[in-house]
Amino acid sequence: MKMNLDRMDKRSINRCVRCGSCRTFCPAFQESGWESANTRGRIIVIKSLAEGSLEADSRVLDSLNTCTTCGICTDNCPAGVNPPELVECARRELVARGIMTASQKDLSRTIFQSGNTFGDRGDRLAWLRDRSRLSEKADYVYFVGCMNSYRYPETAARSWELLRRFGVSLLPSEQCCGSPLFRTGFDAGKLVDENTRQMQQMGIKGIITGCAGCYATLKKRYSSRFSVLSIPEFLSEHISELGLEGKALDITVTYHDPCHLGRHNGIYEQPRRVIEAICSLKEMKANRDAARCCGGGGGVRAGYRDLSLKMARKRLLDVPEGVDFIVTSCPLCIRNLRDAGACEKVIDLVDLVAMALAQKTR
Amino acid sequence: MKKILEDLREIDAGMVCAALAERRCYASDASQVEGLADYVVRPESTQQVSRILRLCSEENIPVTARGSGTGLSGGASPICGGIVLDLSGMNRIIEIDSENLQVIVEPGVIHEKLNMALKPFGFFFPPDPGSSAMCTIGGMIANNSSGMRSVKYGTTRSYVLDLEVVLADGRVIHTGSKVLKSVAGYDLTRLFVGSEGTLGIITRAGLRVAPLPLARKLVLASFEETETAGRAVIMVFSSGITPSACEILDRTTLKVLKLCDPNLALPDDGDLILFEVDGTDSSTAESALQIQELLGPLAKSVRIASGQKEMEAIWAARRLVGAAISRLDPNRTRIYIGEDVGVPIKEIPSLIKRVQQITTKLDLPAMKYGHIGDGNLHVALFIDVMNSDQWGKLELAADRIHRAALELSGTVSSEHGIGLARAQYMPLQVGEDALNVMRSIKKALDPKNILNPGKMGL
Repeated sequence: MKMNLDRMDKRSINRCVRCGSCRTFCPAFQESGWESANTRGRIIVIKSLAEGSLEADSRVLDSLNTCTTCGICTDNCPAGVNPPELVECARRELVARGIMTASQKDLSRTIFQSGNTFGDRGDRLAWLRDRSRLSEKADYVYFVGCMNSYRYPETAARSWELLRRFGVSLLPSEQCCGSPLFRTGFDAGKLVDENTRQMQQMGIKGIITGCAGCYATLKKRYSSRFSVLSIPEFLSEHISELGLEGKALDITVTYHDPCHLGRHNGIYEQPRRVIEAICSLKEMKANRDAARCCGGGGGVRAGYRDLSLKMARKRLLDVPEGVDFIVTSCPLCIRNLRDAGACEKVIDLVDLVAMALAQKTR
Repeated sequence: MKKILEDLREIDAGMVCAALAERRCYASDASQVEGLADYVVRPESTQQVSRILRLCSEENIPVTARGSGTGLSGGASPICGGIVLDLSGMNRIIEIDSENLQVIVEPGVIHEKLNMALKPFGFFFPPDPGSSAMCTIGGMIANNSSGMRSVKYGTTRSYVLDLEVVLADGRVIHTGSKVLKSVAGYDLTRLFVGSEGTLGIITRAGLRVAPLPLARKLVLASFEETETAGRAVIMVFSSGITPSACEILDRTTLKVLKLCDPNLALPDDGDLILFEVDGTDSSTAESALQIQELLGPLAKSVRIASGQKEMEAIWAARRLVGAAISRLDPNRTRIYIGEDVGVPIKEIPSLIKRVQQITTKLDLPAMKYGHIGDGNLHVALFIDVMNSDQWGKLELAADRIHRAALELSGTVSSEHGIGLARAQYMPLQVGEDALNVMRSIKKALDPKNILNPGKMGL
């Protein structure tokens, strides 16, 4: 079987000179040690698939699916290759031929059947106490995302409390944004269409989200007519209006840059501005564009739990001494870092903001 | 083959993989040389390596050692199949013995990590390849690697005191000792350094380290003509200064460097020479000023880098420039071929001129940079790899470049090694008689020719 790649992708593959710089950065490789789990190896695998000299067996699937798409290789590739794009393209090509891991199959079935990543049949807005005052028309909606809707409802509620005072509304029947499907090679067009239909019906101009995965997907896969804002961006623009200045909390926190907010979208300073308004910030050993991945993205948490948690444990080694909380802006990062041993020490930026506001009203 | 897999598992050889996808990933280094192994094995101890080699010797299985696979000559490509022995997992720094000016490491230790570990002790391991962040010490020893600071500090060979080597039949020997000087018999240490895995597998190394200089300064001098740049280097040496690095960058290289880091303040044309001096604050300030004054009349421009930050930015971009050339033209890819020639330093301007003629005639763009202080020129040829005509031109250019270097009393490889990529030039380079001596040594140590067979023209 020859995998189809367009000319652009072939060019991109050919730009890799196999210098091995990626061995220094790829978080999956650093845990696995096998070349096939390194960026350079993945490009060799994709090239071999495209040439028809390699069948997509389980080792091939492991090679391609252990990439978290964190993009640290892209930022550090001297030849200018964008490996996550190639990996996602290869996953799409294989999925289109029905070649996928059991985990990919389960994930896609779950999302397509339930509209969320957990297969949860419960109410997506269960966290919302009073839905009677939801506007049917609005300029902005808060896109909650599957993780905050079903796993971190308190964070969803806190986000909503901050946003609703600015006239932000909610989609009446939000579906998964499609991120996990796009990352793992599936076409999430139906979900995009359904969410878009509701957005159009509400006449919105923009979307605000508190999930890095949703943010990257809304920005890249949805109509460019909608402006997309992450909650850190929104908060940093409204520091005074929200009354966040004044270092209300006498604590020190560190900030973990989620890959899909940071490296993929350049959102580094906004969350830091918010944190520094509230309390003291002590940077992680590797931060901003050098931040290590939490190990959860790209379908790796779902498909390779052990590897994913190893990466998260490695990330926790970057946490400086003497911090009260590890703050981040992605529920997937929160979950993986918590499961790797950081537990309740990992919180969302919104949780920190809520703590600060509570302190002020005391 | 199934039996070998069972045998490898039975002797506890380490992690073993026979999947085609994995073997493909280990088929080549950064060169164009490819070969498919039957197994990839990742041992974690000398005992495991010894058991593997005993098995391979009994079963006549070729063994190709590999570190990070960053080599540029196909040294780590398993061209005869068999086993690829990935030693990158043997990556412990066993002992930092700063009082005896040495360190003991396993072969998979990454060069940059070793230097990070040595820094608090005030020492460093001076050979510094551009691939410092990812290459292994084992690979550096096997290829006698060097880099930008070799002009002052020499090559890897100068720093190896002792090697633990697993021989082809599984026996384990030590080639030296912890003393800094020893003349006990043949210098086996130096024999194994640069032997590219053809004589034994290095499983541990005792390395001499050097005191970390207290200060470094960088002088940037730009010249209209390459000949003038060459003369400038000789003038600096003649004035009694030994720079700790002395690099030439042609105008194409300068363009690429600026694409890597747009903030770099580099001249737009001409050839740039980077002179680095190290030592104390006062000695480096004095030497840098002396170079600046000395080159004033010759250079188009000459200045001392503003400080540590600028110096680090320039070196960081310089280290990665080899692979970064694709940024100049996204349709072209750097192919590592004919990239490591060396000549006596006086001949560098002639070599650059010859390379320019060769590449212009073949209408191939080339970037030329290198360690002018020790006569080592890196030629970066970059082609559209989807155009078969350009592959033909590329090979022709590389062949002509190699022959030009030899005609100028030079070498086809100053620091990247012979592997298979340059094996054909070995008779020309060393002569048939010398090559036969090498073959005799190979036969004495590896009678069944299982260690990296087919390499170095042996």
